[in-house]
Amino acid sequence: MTSQILGDNEQRPGEQCEYLMLEFSPLSAPLQSRWRNNGLSADFLGDYVTTFLPANRDIAASGRRQNEIRHAVTYIANELLENAMKYHQRGINIPIGIRLELSADNITVTVSNGVGFDGAQSYKSYVEGVLKEDPNDLLVRQLENSSAKEDSTKSCVGLLTMVNDYGAKLGWRFEVNAEHSETMTVTTRAVLHFEHYPGEAA
Amino acid sequence: MKNISGESFEIRMEEPLTVFFKGALRLSGADEYLPILEMLKETLVNPAEPIVLDLRELDFLNSSGITMFSRFVIEARDRTGVNLHFLASESIPWHARSLKNLQRLMPALEIRLG
Repeated sequence: MTSQILGDNEQRPGEQCEYLMLEFSPLSAPLQSRWRNNGLSADFLGDYVTTFLPANRDIAASGRRQNEIRHAVTYIANELLENAMKYHQRGINIPIGIRLELSADNITVTVSNGVGFDGAQSYKSYVEGVLKEDPNDLLVRQLENSSAKEDSTKSCVGLLTMVNDYGAKLGWRFEVNAEHSETMTVTTRAVLHFEHYPGEAA
Repeated sequence: MKNISGESFEIRMEEPLTVFFKGALRLSGADEYLPILEMLKETLVNPAEPIVLDLRELDFLNSSGITMFSRFVIEARDRTGVNLHFLASESIPWHARSLKNLQRLMPALEIRLG
């Protein structure tokens, strides 16, 4: 099998939407020196979204909603970029990409990166486990367990907070990279539905 | 008084036991958060005194930071008599969304959302 989809998969081909894409070359700088780029990019995407969610009429309510959505996009973009930067396959020229899409009723943040077959397999197993459980119980359990472990980077608290705290629907695609057959491209998608952010529509 | 600061954040500990957080915390993992966790644990030496974490100017916290606060809250919970308060802000979205998870770890944790 060269491609597998897990989780939420609500594709609506042909729908008109605004989008923005950024790609990062994986070879140019060590992880530590480019870490701050995650925050800069995530802040940019969050601010960019507000262009399409003007605060008007009831100023206080729509301003609050705009702030909530801006923050949710920033948090999700930051977490997905941090994960992609950490787990990206080193030494191979596959870019790390982030894409933001706005449609009438939702915002989608999609991040893709390259990963070795073993890494992809363990991530896939983790995702399958996450999909079977209540995200709130699993999040609290992961937070509880993280206190006993030195390294918490694999606890996936980021993914669980997106679902639990921000109402994001997550979906994943694993596929063999077309140009590097020894590498998988992992695409993680988070959809934020506006109905979870009450207030005036955009 | 003790301080830890970085490009985008500042953390300041003052008497009586209050730790102020300001800015955006996006450190890359448990190792980078360790000095902050160690500083917070220092507040637990005298459990009779109330401990206040003032987050009202902490605009952003990544999930590694949430994990770091969880570790601190669990340490506080597991010692008897610790009186822990978090000061939070309604205008910073992550406060209302994510701090409740810490309360599930420690039901006695008081969160004042102002």
